[in-house]
Amino acid sequence: MMGKSLLTCSVAALLLGTGSLAAQETLKIGVADALTGGAAVYGLPQANSVEMAADEINAAGGISVGDETYMLDVIVYDDKANPTEATNAVRKLIDRDGVKYILGFCCSGATGAIASFIGYEDAVMLVGNAAERSITTQGLTNLVRTRPPADYTGAAAGAFVARQGHKRVAVLGALETSFYASYVEAFEEEFAKSGGEVIAHEVFASKDRDMSPQLTKIRAMDPDALLVVGYVEPAAFAYRQSTELGMDIPRYGFTSGSEEQFLRVATTEQMEGVWDLRPTELTLQSTTDAGLAYHEHYLERFGDAPSPSSPYAYDQAWALKHAIEAAGSVDDTEAVAAALRDLKIFPEAVMQYRPVNGKMFDDNGQAYTANGAFQWQDGHWVFVEELPSDPEAYSEFLSSLN
Amino acid sequence: MKFKTLLMLAALVLFLALPQLITVKYYLHLCILALIWVIMAQGQNLIQGYTGYVSIVQAGFMGIGAYSSALMGSHFGLPVGMTIILAPLVTAVFALVAGYPSLRVKGHYFAIVTLAFNMVIFIVLLNFTHLTNGEAGISGIHKPGYGRGAMIDFYDRQVYYYFVLAIAVLMTTLAAVIVRSRIGQILLAIRQNEDLVASVGVAAWRYKLFAFVISAMFAGLAGALYAHYQSFINPEIFGVAQSMDAILAVIIGGSGTLTGPVIGAFFVVFLPEYLRFADSFRLILYGLILVLATIFMPRGIVGLARDLGTRFGGRK
Repeated sequence: MMGKSLLTCSVAALLLGTGSLAAQETLKIGVADALTGGAAVYGLPQANSVEMAADEINAAGGISVGDETYMLDVIVYDDKANPTEATNAVRKLIDRDGVKYILGFCCSGATGAIASFIGYEDAVMLVGNAAERSITTQGLTNLVRTRPPADYTGAAAGAFVARQGHKRVAVLGALETSFYASYVEAFEEEFAKSGGEVIAHEVFASKDRDMSPQLTKIRAMDPDALLVVGYVEPAAFAYRQSTELGMDIPRYGFTSGSEEQFLRVATTEQMEGVWDLRPTELTLQSTTDAGLAYHEHYLERFGDAPSPSSPYAYDQAWALKHAIEAAGSVDDTEAVAAALRDLKIFPEAVMQYRPVNGKMFDDNGQAYTANGAFQWQDGHWVFVEELPSDPEAYSEFLSSLN
Repeated sequence: MKFKTLLMLAALVLFLALPQLITVKYYLHLCILALIWVIMAQGQNLIQGYTGYVSIVQAGFMGIGAYSSALMGSHFGLPVGMTIILAPLVTAVFALVAGYPSLRVKGHYFAIVTLAFNMVIFIVLLNFTHLTNGEAGISGIHKPGYGRGAMIDFYDRQVYYYFVLAIAVLMTTLAAVIVRSRIGQILLAIRQNEDLVASVGVAAWRYKLFAFVISAMFAGLAGALYAHYQSFINPEIFGVAQSMDAILAVIIGGSGTLTGPVIGAFFVVFLPEYLRFADSFRLILYGLILVLATIFMPRGIVGLARDLGTRFGGRK
């Protein structure tokens, strides 16, 4: 009798097990990002973030769609921030690997190339750190972006610097890169409203490491303050060399670099007092519990602190999970894209998003974070204050560009 | 029928049948890029392989072709077919201006001067933002034809493949005609001994300039085809690294042969893609393969095939 019951239980357990196995599927998602080259400082942490988010989603039971549960499988390809490479990577993801959801995208050039054809694909594109404004002005219904455009932050930065009482600011930066240029343009416009003037526009390339000629020229112009915009490494060299040249003026910047990234180039003394005026990205002093947990998990898993901008990609993965569950389908990309547009800010989000009409993404597929003023104090980025920003007004402006 | 002719016919049949054989469209995408590279490499081969002048500006000229075709379409409303035809002519004008001073120097000096021209083109594309939109690039570049869903729909990759294939065959044939003409023979003579050519009263500089300009026109055409295929261009893809790839395509395939650039073009497009499994070691592996191939196959894949043919088949 006991043997029969045992057999019945075993068969039942086997059937239940088979049932649960049949309902558990795998959903492949893709990441195209700069894993090598100069832009890898942004791309690699983004790719890591998506993998980490996918593991967390899987550990929490995966994505539930009806009776089925989907576990995420992440396929990552390097696009070197190069448009052709990015196209090849995304084509491979869509055509060969059968991926419908593509995340990552740290750099504007490569992202622009994908945005030019993604509208014709049965796929959804989630853009991270790439800040070029035009990415979300093309009316693409299957594209969303977690990072706000650069000029949204530039305007807030211009108002902040004017409030500090400066009248003559010199700009040094990667001005050939469009989103840095648009940051400066918006900065200048807002700064001028308070009677301020940008007296110099000195340029460095992303691979430049010696900015002393530009800084020497700027020093001779005797500005009230210096604004440095560009990738972390060249910006760190600019800060280092400004102190070496004895420039004792307030230094502002737009870089989104982590403490570790800056300290590879400059000492903490050389960085002391520098401001970073950027979206309120991951900085321990300003972040939420979700941000602290993200930082801890990332550090534990990769042995390195996450870059401040990396959660843009982490949040993409969670946004996708919630959108798929809301759409009730993994195959209907149109429904998932619509659900993304309808998504409310979710508790797992690391960045501090500001909703537009109660939703995370506006009609353009654009999300907005708060902007913040961070200052380097005793070896750390310290959150000082939030910069006044108006996502609703900016969203309307963005819609007018479509 | 000669063995070589048979081989060429077989290759053409294979290229025509390729879209039917390829089940994953990603490979068709790579084939289109490779065919565009065939055009660019054939041009590079004219100046590098046949004339003996290593030019490091081919990607820059490709950029001029790409931007001029895209801008002529968007600013003047010209039809795409016309802008693709005009793009090589615009590139030729720039090549004429660049080539005249460049070709006054030889050897490494010529290479360095052309490299500088590529850098200048790159910087102009990056900084003339009012025209080129800088690093953000130009998106939404139209494809030829009458739009999506038309009878001949260039948005269909298969259609674009045949379109580019036809042009690649045409340009390879043009290269063959040039090489076999009197001009081609003089170019070969310049490669062998330029002083001797000049000593018999031939104005070598004219022929060199001709090769340089024609080479640039091939690149300009390739650029235009690229722009309208990708619908997006930015300066990143027209830098010196891309010019180096054009040189490599010629060397790896077989310098001074017509088949070499075809093989080399497919090599430089497909190899990095096949090496994606190596993740961050991909480019190291790619570089290593290129170094080994250059050392052990100095005459390229075509040269190696010929050597093997001679050894095993007694064919010369």
